[in-house]
Order: sequence, then C-alpha cells, then structure tokens
Amino acid sequence: MDEATLWETLTRVFQDTFEDDEITIGPETTAADIEDWDSLTHIQLMVAIERAFKMRFNTGEVASLANVGELVALVIQRSP
Amino acid sequence: MDGLRELIRLGQYDQAWSCLLEAGKTVTDYTRYASLCRWHKRLREKAPRRELAKTVRIALLGGATTELLEAPLRLAVESLGLGCQIQRASYNLFVQEMLDADSATAEFKPDVAILLGTHANIPVWPAQGDTLERVDVLVEQTCDHWLGLCARFNEHTPCEIVLNNFHVLPTRPLGNLGVKTPWDANNFLRRVNLALGDRAPAYVHINDVEGLAARYGVRQWFDERYWYLAKQPVSFECLVPYVQNTARIIGALFGYTAKCLVLDLDNTLWGGVIGDDGLDGIAIGEGDGVGEAYKAFQEYLLKLKQRGILLAVCSKNEEENALKPFIELPEMVLKRDDFVCFKANWEPKPNNLREIAAELNIGVNSLVFVDDNPAEREIVRQWLPEVRVIELTDDPADYPGILDDAGCFEITTLSAEDLQRVAQYQRNAERKVLQSSIGDYDDYLRSLDQKAVIRPFEAKHLDRITQLINKSNQFNLTTLRLSRSQVEERMRNPDMLTLYVRLADRFGDNGLISVFCGERVDDELNIQLWLMSCRVLKRGVEQLVCNYVVDKARGLGVSRLHGAYLPTAKNGLVRDLYPALGFVAMSNRHDDGTHWSLDPARYSPFEVSIQLAEDY
Repeated sequence: MDEATLWETLTRVFQDTFEDDEITIGPETTAADIEDWDSLTHIQLMVAIERAFKMRFNTGEVASLANVGELVALVIQRSP
Repeated sequence: MDGLRELIRLGQYDQAWSCLLEAGKTVTDYTRYASLCRWHKRLREKAPRRELAKTVRIALLGGATTELLEAPLRLAVESLGLGCQIQRASYNLFVQEMLDADSATAEFKPDVAILLGTHANIPVWPAQGDTLERVDVLVEQTCDHWLGLCARFNEHTPCEIVLNNFHVLPTRPLGNLGVKTPWDANNFLRRVNLALGDRAPAYVHINDVEGLAARYGVRQWFDERYWYLAKQPVSFECLVPYVQNTARIIGALFGYTAKCLVLDLDNTLWGGVIGDDGLDGIAIGEGDGVGEAYKAFQEYLLKLKQRGILLAVCSKNEEENALKPFIELPEMVLKRDDFVCFKANWEPKPNNLREIAAELNIGVNSLVFVDDNPAEREIVRQWLPEVRVIELTDDPADYPGILDDAGCFEITTLSAEDLQRVAQYQRNAERKVLQSSIGDYDDYLRSLDQKAVIRPFEAKHLDRITQLINKSNQFNLTTLRLSRSQVEERMRNPDMLTLYVRLADRFGDNGLISVFCGERVDDELNIQLWLMSCRVLKRGVEQLVCNYVVDKARGLGVSRLHGAYLPTAKNGLVRDLYPALGFVAMSNRHDDGTHWSLDPARYSPFEVSIQLAEDY
C-alpha cells in the first residue's frame, strides 16, 4: 500500500469512527485535537484500523497509540 | 452499503429503512455493522419509523463494558420488526441496580433486562483439590447468586430477564485432565451452565454464550487484549453474532419469530434436477458425499419440523416430477406428509409464497425462504421484502449451518402445541376435504363434533397464553402484547375477567386457541384483549366466547361491555367482528380505532355447534 492510499484509508476510518466527514488528519494529530477521541472511541478507532489494514496491534500499542504519526509509522512497519 | 447511502441521499427513506433492517439481520461483519449503526442513527434522525406494534424497553446490565453493544443491539432488535429503547447501567453496577427498587434501571420499567455476566463476575471459584461434593455446593451457590439477583429484581420490577451463561476459558491449565477434575475452572463453568439451564424460572431466558462461543471457537470469541484494556466481553469479530443472538431471544419473547420454512427442491433438497436427471440421476442419501450432504440437510429440516416449524415446498417443476422422489426414493428423509403445503408449478415464486401464507393463515413475514438459485432469492427479496431469504453457498454441506446460524426460529418456550402443530395443520387440510364433500356449512360444523373448554387463565397455560398473545396478528382486536409477567398479573387481578379456550374435534385436539381478557371498572367491562388462532376461524369459537363473556358479565352485574377494534396492517379480518356480534358503535371517543358497546340485557346468545366441556 502506498502512503497516499494509506492516508486516504486512515482518514476514512477516522471519519467513520467519529461520525464526522469533515475530519482531516496529519502526522501531528493527537487525541487532544479531536473532540470525541476518548478512551472508548479510542478502542473503536484501534479496532477499525486493525480491520481496515488487516493487522493486529499488541495490547501495549493499543493502549499507547494516541498520535497519528506513530500510528502511520506502525501501520507502514506492519504492512507486508 | 453504498445503496443505503444513495437511498438516504435521494430521500427514499422507506426503502432505506427496509434495506437497513434487512442488513441488520444478515450482516455479521463488525466493520460493516458499525457502519450500518451509523446510518441507523442518521436515518432515525431524518425519518423516524412509523408507529410500530411494539417498542421494547431494554435494560442492559453488565459486569463488562456494554457501551459498544448498545447501537448494534438496537439495530439487531429493530431489524426483527420491534421498536427499541435501551437503558444502559454503568459498568459493573448490576448488583446494586438490580437489588435497589429505586435504581435508575428499576425506574426505567424495562420489558426486558439483559444481564451480561462474565467469568470475572463469578463470586467464588473452587479451590484446588475441592471434592465433587464441594464443587456441587459452589455450583448451587453460583446459581443462587445469579438467579437470586434475577428474583429480587423481578419482585420489584416484573420483566423478562435474559441471562448470559459462561463460555469456557481460552486456557486449560490442567490440560485434558480438567475434564475429569471437578475443581478445574472449565469443568466448573460447564456445571454452572447446566445448573443455570435446569434452575432458571420461566421469566429467565438463558443467552447461550457457551454454545455460541463454541460455534466460533473461544479464541476467536474472546479477545484478551480488549478485555484487559476496556473490559469488552466479546471480541469485535463475534460482537455482531452475539447481539443478533441476544436480539433473537427478545424477538421471540414478543412473537417475532418465523413459523414456516419454504423450500425449493432441485439442488436444495437433493442434488440435480429431477425433471432432467430423473430418479436415478439425483443425489440423495448414503454412498455419495454430495448425496449425504443433502440427506443431512433433510435430517436437520426434519428436526425443525418435529419442534413445530411448518415446512412447505415451492419449486418450479411439474408436480408429478416433484413428487416422485418423495414417493419412490426410500433415501429421502423427508416425506410428502412432512410438508403442509406443496407448490410445484411454474408461477413466479413470490405468488406461491403469498398463497402459502394465505393457506396457512400466517403472515408473509412468518416465512423463511431457502433456494439454491440466487435469481429466485433475489426476486423474492425484491417482491416480498418481509420474507426472510437465506443466502446459501453453492455447497449443500453448508446448508444446515447457514440456516441454523440465521436463527429464524428462536423460541423461549416449547409448548405441547408446538410439538403437535404440524399434525394440526394437516388435520386442517383433511377438514377442508371433508368440507368440500358436504354441502351445508352448518352440517359440516355439526359433523366436526366440536368440544371446547373455557377457563380463566391458569398457571400451567401461561406460556402458551403469552405465546399466543405475542404472535397472533390477524384475529386480534387490540394487538396488545404482554410479557409473561404481565399475563400473570392479570391472572391474579380479581377485577380481570380472563379466559382461554381449548378446542377439540373429531380429527383431534386443536389445543389452546383463543384468549380473552377484560377489566371490570364499576359496572363496565372493558375488553383489553381478544384474539384467536386463525386455525379455527369460522368454527363458531368467537360466538361461543361472546356468549360466555356476556353470561359472565351478567353474573358480575356488568351493564355494559366496551370493546375496541384497533386496526393494524394485519387484523382487517376482525374489523367488523363487533357489529357482527351485535355490538353498537359508540360515538368516536378516540381516533385510534372503532369503539363498540353491548348491553348484556339485550343480548341473545348465538347458536354454536360446539359443546362446552369441563375437560376433554
């Protein structure tokens, strides 16, 4: 998956999870930037990302990933 | 999903709803379901559904996080045709909420409470080395804990309770020896599950999480990561099957369960096409893998039939050809007599399905359709969206599992009537033959030798009475749905005139077929509920009930009976029942239906060809 497609997919996942088609994300986006990003939507977001990219985060990753830049790095690293 | 988006964009909300609710029954993938839930929310805001026959109030209580279950559960319940209001208690507060008569959950006055416990809510586990006797005591105590909680809640808040049982744990510290070791955790959980099933009272319905988790595999069912991080009781892979399974129990409680399974023949009940391949060419029975797969499907269908599901055939075939395998092939598990309707012709299948529903006096939405041909499935979906269409694969070995997973026939009780139902419908067919050979209808009724028992509600019949109240649609004047607890309340209320009718005739017992309930207020009797199974339409039962009620009303000093006809999409049959029985129209006090009254003093009883009996 090239990086442009990755960003497109990830943006879609964010928009779906937070039910807001206006959301845009960048490497610097964190939980503080998105109003509804709380502990529960975080779980929904992680599950949606796992499923969209067909990969599995470990427990620590799910717990600590709160920054889109790190997320993208991890998705790239895990992609075949 | 894109179709749904487009329908909403175009403002075609009715179609969007039917598309959404169909998907709510069939989609099991979490990502797609989550997306459907978002559309569900938007659609509710844009175009709320019209008044539904029943809106269920559901209290969701859990020893796990239930937030993420709420929206999928709402969609799954609404997909069955019910409205739904959900009140969710906070994480792990279920004990307080259930014991306290003033809790938010109690004040919500739910119709159904879902109690979602997990292995983390087991109060005491066996200790290493505990004897079987000690483990049995703990099993009893565990059941006392859960069922006691249900009982206490039910005392102050009568409602149906859906209680989870427990899936086994994903690890086996004792390995295979656990099976021989009572204090082993999984050994213990299995005993608890069996005991819960044995001991649960009528208002507690076990949500068989153990069975469902086994169906998917515990490792897939339970995701430790999301349990540790957020106390999710079920993995996201299995979340949708879990809520759909839960929703089906709730649907069954209110009669939203299919009654008849309509089956295609060629490549559905046997391999090949009987008209082309002939008796020697079709695959059915032992000796050939494909034939065995079809045989296994027939065996599964026979089990459904034996528990009261009606089977019907709808096949594009010459009837003579279609019947041949049933008559001439001993390998066929199903026989012609197992089917209450047999349509083999070249008419479009939706027409045949409508006829089947009409002949059986059931709604089209009580039909489930199984056909290997995707084109036939599609035409039925389009023409008759109320029919539940099962999406098959091209492998007959998958058929039983697919049909089983669809869970269309969920029930919460199994009455003697269910077990005899097919025989009753077949006797009806015989009665129709008798009817055609006799000129005068009254002669026919007399020849039936009918006997009826009319009695007030009794505890032993509560299950059947509740079932009838919640599933009768056509001969039903008010379509008032009641939970078992509400029926029980009426049974105990001295101001209620309640009755049920059992009817037998020379062909056999029709079982409990009619229910009536009226409340006495001063010198008036207000009829709350009057319904009858359509199996016994035009037999004189309604006149008999009217005679009986008027007689009782006189005895109670009632000077006026008041009845209402509240129209629904299905009860047009009884629109004119009250005037036909001599009731007079009342000035329109309400705009919800028509209202009728009767002065018992001016009533002369109808003649009916039914003999009243104490018992038969």
